[in-house]
Amino acid sequence: MNKTWLVIKHEYLLHVKKKRFIFAILSLPLFILLMVGVGFISVIFQYNSTPIGYIDHTGYLHDPIENSIKAPIGFLPSMEIITFTSGESAQNSLNNNEIQAYYIMPVDFLQTGKIKVFANEIPDSEINTGFTRFLRSNLLRSLPDKISNRVTEGASFEIKSTTDNRNTSEDSILGFVLPFLAGFLFIMAVNISGGYLMQAVVEEKENRTMEIMITSLSPTQLMTAKVIGNLSVGLTQLIVWILVGMIGFVSILRIYPTLQTSQIDFSFLILMILVFLPAFVMIAAMMAALGATTTESREAQQFAGLFTIPMVLPFWFIQVLMEKPNSILSIFLSIFPFTAPISLPVRAAFSTIPTWQIIITIALLISFAIAALWLAGKAFRLGMLRYGKKLTIKEIFTQRP
Amino acid sequence: MNTIEVTNISKSFGSQKALDQVSFEVKPGEIFGLLGPNGAGKTTCIRIILDIFKPDSGSVKIFGNGMKEENKDLIGYLPEERGLYQDIKLEDCLVYLATLKGLSKAESLERINKYLVRFNLDEHKKKKVKELSKGMQQKAQLITTLVHNPKLVIIDEPFSALDPVNTQMVKDILREQRDLGKTIVMCTHQMHQVEELCDRLVLINQGQTVLYGSLSEVQKKYAGHSIHIRTGDHISETFPGIKAIQKLENHNLYKIDLLENISTQEFIKSMVMSNINIDQFEIATPTLDEIFIQVVTESGMNYE
Repeated sequence: MNKTWLVIKHEYLLHVKKKRFIFAILSLPLFILLMVGVGFISVIFQYNSTPIGYIDHTGYLHDPIENSIKAPIGFLPSMEIITFTSGESAQNSLNNNEIQAYYIMPVDFLQTGKIKVFANEIPDSEINTGFTRFLRSNLLRSLPDKISNRVTEGASFEIKSTTDNRNTSEDSILGFVLPFLAGFLFIMAVNISGGYLMQAVVEEKENRTMEIMITSLSPTQLMTAKVIGNLSVGLTQLIVWILVGMIGFVSILRIYPTLQTSQIDFSFLILMILVFLPAFVMIAAMMAALGATTTESREAQQFAGLFTIPMVLPFWFIQVLMEKPNSILSIFLSIFPFTAPISLPVRAAFSTIPTWQIIITIALLISFAIAALWLAGKAFRLGMLRYGKKLTIKEIFTQRP
Repeated sequence: MNTIEVTNISKSFGSQKALDQVSFEVKPGEIFGLLGPNGAGKTTCIRIILDIFKPDSGSVKIFGNGMKEENKDLIGYLPEERGLYQDIKLEDCLVYLATLKGLSKAESLERINKYLVRFNLDEHKKKKVKELSKGMQQKAQLITTLVHNPKLVIIDEPFSALDPVNTQMVKDILREQRDLGKTIVMCTHQMHQVEELCDRLVLINQGQTVLYGSLSEVQKKYAGHSIHIRTGDHISETFPGIKAIQKLENHNLYKIDLLENISTQEFIKSMVMSNINIDQFEIATPTLDEIFIQVVTESGMNYE
């Protein structure tokens, strides 16, 4: 046990102390910051706060309750809405670039719903949306506030299943985003940890230290230590990211307090852990087995992509999973061990999954994980002493060490 | 109790038979030679002894038992495929491997630094292993083999990357280890290296035992009826008792095969009587190389 611990510590520190690891850990938050920054900058550059105008022939907007459209980012000036009485003055203002567009509401607007827009350039859809909202709140102004707000905001549906007491809130942004986010993080974590593990196994082979190692401790101890050590490296990376994400999330909640109403279902979290853990071990062990059969780390990395494809596959069928979570394809994707880690949580977020399906999925994942570990152990013993010679899959199953 | 007992082990890789019914014993405190040409099965044999491979049949006992995890700390192994972690500092690498043999970190550090000084590697200890030459890495690996003070040392081709100075140093270390009571198994195809070190040996060719016994027994068994003589005088081919005479070097050294009916005693007596000045005289013991070639040719095997 003591020796296992020594190897775990060695493997862990070896990676964590490297510059490469620090860069890798910083890369994701930096990437996200960059994306957000670029997003902000493009909004700032695209945003045009030049006022818009309208000419009202209906009489509903004579004395409007709001006369501006809020900017998409708080610190930018909001867009003014100016009332014109004649088309001529509006056209003049447009020609002088005092306004970027003007809307003409004909007398029969209530019957037809048609509005004419005049502009030098086609205005942003944002502006039309803004104007529509302005129009709507003015048309509803005579109703009580509560009612007019509800009409503009719409309803929020909470679905109650008769077979299960779990609630699915369609409106909860978090409940919607969480399975995607978790799936994405899972793929990242598996790739990183599996990559480290595969590299560690191949390096053992490239460095030819295998014989020294297994005359110092047992192959099982060595394999266990390698798996734990390298998975911990991946987990460290993941935990740092999750912490960064949580800090970011908390700060977003402070800016948009409305999100706080969404709740995370506790049983959903447990389900994800039950699915992710065996899947994590399964894929990492398979990568280790792959590492043991190849001769060079470069070669191993090329094969690693093979594992990513089935994992990402559910994202292509995301629409099916969301809209028909109980179709045969969805059920298959959530049971098949390679696609389950992404599909099952997504399905769970959009419908209630029968317990027997959950049990089958998790049981399959656990048995696959055990089989993968066995395979890795065998490939490890057989493949490690073959320098410069590949191990075939047939040999893993037929040959004795 | 023998340190190692190998009984009838066989091992095949696919259709290729690597070892066929090999048996030998290694006694405590001796230097044992495991010899054979390249591809004879020496390394496979060692890997089976160390439980890296499982034999198809036969058994191995080490310190009187099967291989156990506790025994691993009592064994120092220098594999033929030399390997150290390339991307870390030499000292860190050695300390890590020593702690895996059950030493504490402080003790490993102390012992390793002594060895580093002795092996002239002290100034390189902060360098990465990959920056060292092959010979340096081999010496470093020898430190890993010996640092935990093992009772049994198994070394595979110990001289392969070493220059004459370092070869001599390693030989001295091996003798020193024997004097400390260690059992040493030396695996090599350089048979002349073994002759000056080994007490007993086994010779394997194509997976089969060809010779087994103490060095002197083996040599006596294969010694022909011949002598070496160094003399400035001329020896006629017709001199009584001579079957064949062969000049070995330019320095008046001859190898003489004697007729069966004459003893070496009688032959030297008659040489002295004939006033031939003898500078050097010895019974010609065959080298292991010669013995090996003889055995292999006799048995009709191929010498690869």
